[in-house]
Amino acid sequence: MTLRQPEAGPVSAAADAGGANAMFLSSDARWEMVDALAARTVSPGSYEPSLADVVGELTVRPLTGIPVALAALYAFWSIFTSFAGTLMTDGFMVKIFDGYWLPWLQSVWPDPASWHYFIFVGNPLADNSLEAFGVLTSGFFVSIGVVLPAVLIFYLTMTILEDSGYLPRLAVLMDTFLHKIGLHGYAIVPAILGLGCNVPAVTATRILETKKQRFIMMTLLALFIPCGAQLGIMMAVIPESVGIVFLCLLIGFGLFGFILSRLIPGENPEILVDVPAYHWPVKEYVAQKLWNRTKAFLREAIPFVLFGILLVNLLYLGGVIPALADLLEPVFVVWFGVPKETAGPLIAAFLRKDLAIAQLSNIPMTPYQLVASVVLVTIYFPCVATFVVMLREGWRELLASIAVLLTVVFIYGGMIHGIGILLGVA
Amino acid sequence: MAANGEDVTTVLMIGNPNVGKSALFNRMTGANAVVSNYPGTTVDFTKGTLIEGNRTYVIIDVPGTYSLEPRDAAEEVAVRMLRHRPDATVMIVLDATRIERGLYLALEVMELGMPCILAVNMIDAAHEKQITVDTAELQRLLGVPVIPTTAISGEGVRSLAEMLRKARVADVMDISGRLKGDPPAAGGRACFGCGGCGGR
Amino acid sequence: MKKRLSDLAPDETGIIEAIDGPVHDLMCLGLRVGKTVKMVTKQPVKGPVVVLSGEVEIAMGIGTAQRVMVIVTPQEA
Repeated sequence: MTLRQPEAGPVSAAADAGGANAMFLSSDARWEMVDALAARTVSPGSYEPSLADVVGELTVRPLTGIPVALAALYAFWSIFTSFAGTLMTDGFMVKIFDGYWLPWLQSVWPDPASWHYFIFVGNPLADNSLEAFGVLTSGFFVSIGVVLPAVLIFYLTMTILEDSGYLPRLAVLMDTFLHKIGLHGYAIVPAILGLGCNVPAVTATRILETKKQRFIMMTLLALFIPCGAQLGIMMAVIPESVGIVFLCLLIGFGLFGFILSRLIPGENPEILVDVPAYHWPVKEYVAQKLWNRTKAFLREAIPFVLFGILLVNLLYLGGVIPALADLLEPVFVVWFGVPKETAGPLIAAFLRKDLAIAQLSNIPMTPYQLVASVVLVTIYFPCVATFVVMLREGWRELLASIAVLLTVVFIYGGMIHGIGILLGVA
Repeated sequence: MAANGEDVTTVLMIGNPNVGKSALFNRMTGANAVVSNYPGTTVDFTKGTLIEGNRTYVIIDVPGTYSLEPRDAAEEVAVRMLRHRPDATVMIVLDATRIERGLYLALEVMELGMPCILAVNMIDAAHEKQITVDTAELQRLLGVPVIPTTAISGEGVRSLAEMLRKARVADVMDISGRLKGDPPAAGGRACFGCGGCGGR
Repeated sequence: MKKRLSDLAPDETGIIEAIDGPVHDLMCLGLRVGKTVKMVTKQPVKGPVVVLSGEVEIAMGIGTAQRVMVIVTPQEA
């Protein structure tokens, strides 16, 4: 058995403080002892696959696992839209915010023409909290009324997926595709979360191992994953083209993931994970995890959403955003092939993408132009809240992300236009 | 925290991922758990208190790790937490059905010279798979208390709490000696009258 | 017969003979020289493989599996 001298590293520092008889073995010597200990104390049983094992195998084999994964994702999605979207946000939060909070603020806040009214309450004529765009109106409505229920239901489903043992299997199935675009099977977590809200999704990119993976995921998330609010409005405004829009986004996700994984330096280690057996999640632990995560979200994300709206309102007051719209108009018309009226909404997409899509529906356009501009809005800048949480992950990464974003919007927008011309629809 | 600071012992719960560590933690601390963010990282850990007899234990649920040579952020937190609390007691949680990789981590922790106690969890799952773990013999070989538990049902949790005060520093050289030399049945030296091994 | 772990067919079993690559990580998960492994599934188009060793089920990238050599256990007919 080989014994190593205590090395002057972090571990031996603890040992020095802990006890004088600290002893360090080599890894091989340790395994030797483990084997000896196990040989003396553990007698292996006859292995009989249980139901959980059988289900476990079925859900990780591609032929049976992929349909199950699709079904699970679909179930996840329908629970999300019905509970968070219809029940909580539309049925409860909208009533409270639009019926009581907004009218009350509008009535008590002095001087509707002042700058502070614009910043904190927003548009004095607004009849709903989403469009008012004040820090105290839209800020609270978006974070508590829209994002919180979405986050809650997503965290709940995520916790159940995690505790039951399905998540690692889903990650294995997805790794086949995701590893080829520089990611890792577990990137499915931020990708799913992003369909609800990009804010918690950005935070969830921490599940990935390397900086390169986190950067690619964050950028793709901002570009190609539409959030729940956008999806809802898309379905309301252009229900017949949602499929095409999704196809464009999915192709973009794969294509630019592939390109980014080859351009960005850094490591993309292969997946190596334990696949635990299935078991029923225990109620109390799910509840506790859910509470911990929600609390962290409240503490971390909400101040940033409020701050982001404050910032954008200040930029608006300073005339920066309208000026940008004027400046970029030629690009939109010539390169993307969309009418010049869309420049305003496309710039405004930075504030709230869902609002921009709603505004686009009022501009007369050909079906091609409508699809192209909706795709553009989606892949365009993330909404301001996402922008701010990305900033928290590191400003260098954010700047690099923005550079990639602009490039991709430019190239992909042009490509769609080109394909449109070739097909004779543009 | 107890009013009497002298009786407060910090217990770090460490183990591989998926060994039922959090379930065991919840069993031991009840409802008074709080979540803290470990400084400088984004990985949460949970902290709770257990009052057993006249002693108060502050139990910290360390993120799951396979080894003290960290692979990712969560594992790094585990290592750092051990390093920052050299006077703490370490409760090492093992999965009875996958005991080997738990033992590797246990040995690494023992080498730090911190007082240890082992919980061999998921004993029920092991029974189902007809795996038997001789915890008494393991206790004798390691020289630290080894308690079989099933966190989901609560089996063994009581005695684990009672045995916390019997946690002790293991000597790796002695373990190695016991493995090589003395015959399996010669208790003697390792028995410290905890009652856990039935006075073998 | 000796082959790479990645070349085991689903349900085929082998004994690990040598590991090259992330040895420590694989050992910590329970894959060590001398252990018996069974191929559970291989994902298509060079996706990850899932293997079972005793009570431990592990998913790893195909590149990692290519660096683990196994001696194939003869299948009983």
